[in-house]
Amino acid sequence: MKRLAAVVALLGLATATAACSGGTTNNSGGSGGGGGLFTTIDVARPGLDASAPANPWNPKGNAFLGYNGMKLAWVKNHLTDPNQFYPGVAANWDIAADNSSITIHVQPNAKWSDGKPVTAEDVRLSIGLAYTTGSTAFAITPGAAGAAAEVQVVDDKTVKVTQDMTNPSAKFARGVLDNWVVPAHVWGSVLPADFWDKLKTSRGEGEAADKAREEILALGQKVLAFAPPKDVSAGPFTLERVNPGEALLVKNPNFYNAANVAPAQVKFLNYSGNEQIWNYLSAGKLDHSGFIAAPPDVMNRIKQAPGSHIITGFSPVAVGMAFNQSKKPYDNVHVRRGLAYLIDRAQVTKVASPDGGTPALTTSGIHQKPAQEWIGSELSSLEPYNHDVAKAEAEFTEAGLKKQDGKWTLADGSPWKVTMHAPAGFSDWISAQENIKSQLIDNGVDAEVVTVADYPVYLEEIAAGKYDVGFWLMALGPAPYDIYQRLYGTSNGWTNVAGKVSHNAPGKGGNWMGGAEEIDVEGVGKVNPGELTAELNAASAEEAKPIMAKLAKAANQDLPVIQLWDYVNTQFTNTSRFTGWPQNDSDLLRLPAGVWIQLGMIKAKQ
Amino acid sequence: MSVLLESSSTSAAMRRNFWAGVWRVMRRKPSRLVGAVLMAGFVFMGAFGPLFYPNPLPRDVDQLTRPPSWEHWLGTDDQGRDVVALVVTGSRYVLLAALVTAVITVVLGTGIGLFSGFKRGRWDTVLMRITDMKLTIPGLPLLLVLSTVWKFSSAVQMGLVLGLLSWGGVARAVRAQTLSLRERGFIEAARGLGLSTSHIVGRELLPSMAPYIAMNMLIAITGGVYSQVGLFFLGVLPYESNNWGQMLNTAVFRSGALTVPSALGFLLGPLLAILLLTLAIVLVVDAMDEIFNPRLREE
Repeated sequence: MKRLAAVVALLGLATATAACSGGTTNNSGGSGGGGGLFTTIDVARPGLDASAPANPWNPKGNAFLGYNGMKLAWVKNHLTDPNQFYPGVAANWDIAADNSSITIHVQPNAKWSDGKPVTAEDVRLSIGLAYTTGSTAFAITPGAAGAAAEVQVVDDKTVKVTQDMTNPSAKFARGVLDNWVVPAHVWGSVLPADFWDKLKTSRGEGEAADKAREEILALGQKVLAFAPPKDVSAGPFTLERVNPGEALLVKNPNFYNAANVAPAQVKFLNYSGNEQIWNYLSAGKLDHSGFIAAPPDVMNRIKQAPGSHIITGFSPVAVGMAFNQSKKPYDNVHVRRGLAYLIDRAQVTKVASPDGGTPALTTSGIHQKPAQEWIGSELSSLEPYNHDVAKAEAEFTEAGLKKQDGKWTLADGSPWKVTMHAPAGFSDWISAQENIKSQLIDNGVDAEVVTVADYPVYLEEIAAGKYDVGFWLMALGPAPYDIYQRLYGTSNGWTNVAGKVSHNAPGKGGNWMGGAEEIDVEGVGKVNPGELTAELNAASAEEAKPIMAKLAKAANQDLPVIQLWDYVNTQFTNTSRFTGWPQNDSDLLRLPAGVWIQLGMIKAKQ
Repeated sequence: MSVLLESSSTSAAMRRNFWAGVWRVMRRKPSRLVGAVLMAGFVFMGAFGPLFYPNPLPRDVDQLTRPPSWEHWLGTDDQGRDVVALVVTGSRYVLLAALVTAVITVVLGTGIGLFSGFKRGRWDTVLMRITDMKLTIPGLPLLLVLSTVWKFSSAVQMGLVLGLLSWGGVARAVRAQTLSLRERGFIEAARGLGLSTSHIVGRELLPSMAPYIAMNMLIAITGGVYSQVGLFFLGVLPYESNNWGQMLNTAVFRSGALTVPSALGFLLGPLLAILLLTLAIVLVVDAMDEIFNPRLREE
């Protein structure tokens, strides 16, 4: 017994020691001390790859957005206007009144870190490279919406990009400006001399055009693998070195706004799991980190770290519980509505994402922040689907489901089990599904949670129609088309090629939601939600509003998904060494901290 | 008739002596008694434990990931459920899978080892090369690959796969024992009496190795628990919130058990269960060793 007690005591001690290991605080903040070193983490990229090139197109590349990776301009993700930007390599730009072209003016003082000036030719080459990787405005798919038709160097510092107006998009300017810029004198050899001729050929029809498109896409592999001998950046920093533990960037003295860039160095720390970031933040070691999910007690510990400063704002994304309507009983709208009434969204959010989300007010398809701006008073007229077991039971009864011995069964008496899928590693989704499962079982609906290996496998299997119910990112703003194409786009049967909308039968062409092609919406009449969504592509903000209202009503009534929570943009910062952080709700929160630094906002603490 | 009566009274006396010996061994080191009680406790927990709790387990969303208290001895999980309840309801899958693993390991390992060692010759060569090949396959990486295509939705499936990956060591050891025993006098005598091979293997060889096989089976249970808990901890198997490995994963990676003390109970629950199960098996194996080893018994 003594041995047992000793083993138990030792185990307890070891665990308690481990549990307290993050408790020390570090006021010095590493070697930077006086504010010269900015320590951060790229939450979108677990695991630094020391051998990866400083190549922004390479998925593991050591080009850090806003630091040594520069874009023409930085998308603000405004609540309703997709074409608002902060300047990047482009100092300013003129968008034609009919959205047919954009003229980009390169920063007059912009230089690469090796001292050479940034020119219009660099921009043109970067656009060429973007074509090989299939970027939005530079897609070579025939008939793609918002594609560029021509790239013209006007003078040494000016480039004009013209839109192909056969299938225009309101997001054309965004598609152009949201692109990497790399130096032509380093990357020039990646594109063949006849590239622009090939591109011209690819816009035609026939065998030659097909061949040209194939050749351009094949170049994409070369672009992804290209390793510049040395990082040459137009950004505020250049890559000095990378090892498996950290990446070190040093200030680029040739950056056009270098005088206002406070940190002399930036260090990106490696991480493989959230718990490492929790410990870094609890120790006050990081000057900035993007959002990572943290349980309330860990969040409190982070808040208690010296200088800890958490900023929150709008994140243009929500998560919903999506149904495969090809499968019974989810083809019946009353079943979907019944589930919407049965699930207490506030409880789900409290358990799954207390700091990273707010419970959805209702299912409108739009994040609650911009919903008011898009659909105004219509928002309050939507059914809120507040938690109401009696209403849920009434809906299930109307759907023909039967309750036997306290358990709901299908109309024919066979068992009904709500099987929810989520990718392993998406801890908030799994936690939410576990809570929903308990809520459903409490009310007589059998349920289970099934995880799949990872997100790519999840997307592949959900698109193949293998799941009955899964979580689905939605309300991806700010562009109205982007918001509703998550509900009434390819995943629900509608494809939009060359401006022509067609509908695929459930189970075909990526249609896994299997919703009806036409919905009779109360107070609106019959609508084809896919066609309405496609109209948003070219509509102005004012034109989009009535369409958005119709779609919100359709989504609310038909419930292809139950909107669960709207994400909150939570940024972790530390005021011990740097100041000048964005305010709550700033649009800058939707951009990396490198952009805050290059705009000259961040100052070393005196 | 008198011979029959004499024989039955002799075997009854042997049984009495055996249980008296067991009791003597247990009393000599009380820790062994503790092991036996713990083992019985785990068997009871796996068989009947889940019946004491409702499905789903009660949850309190105002008590998410709380430290141990009088109400919740090991605290609550990230859903506000009692950790003890999770450990108990999760024990059935873990223990059943481990038991299936052990049975398959022992049945396959013993069968192949006995056959190989007794037959010798070509059969021995072929079976031992297969065993060697099996032993060269690293179990964990193979399980990780298998988990991408197989969902292991039931404890029996899990135990089956783990058992099929674990019999090699037992087969080798049983073969070695068989090779040694088959040269002993009593086997020679059995052969001389013209007894059948099945009689010699089933009635002479197998009983001699039974204690060794039983101990291997108990040790295989711990191996089965470690493997499946490890796989669930790595998060490569479908989500089962009350699986001990999944609990460890959730406690560390979602509830921050290594960062904040509030999740410590959540971490300790499954750890203690695994620790106590291992301890129980070690103590019972220790007792069995003395019960079946005449040399140790005489000391």
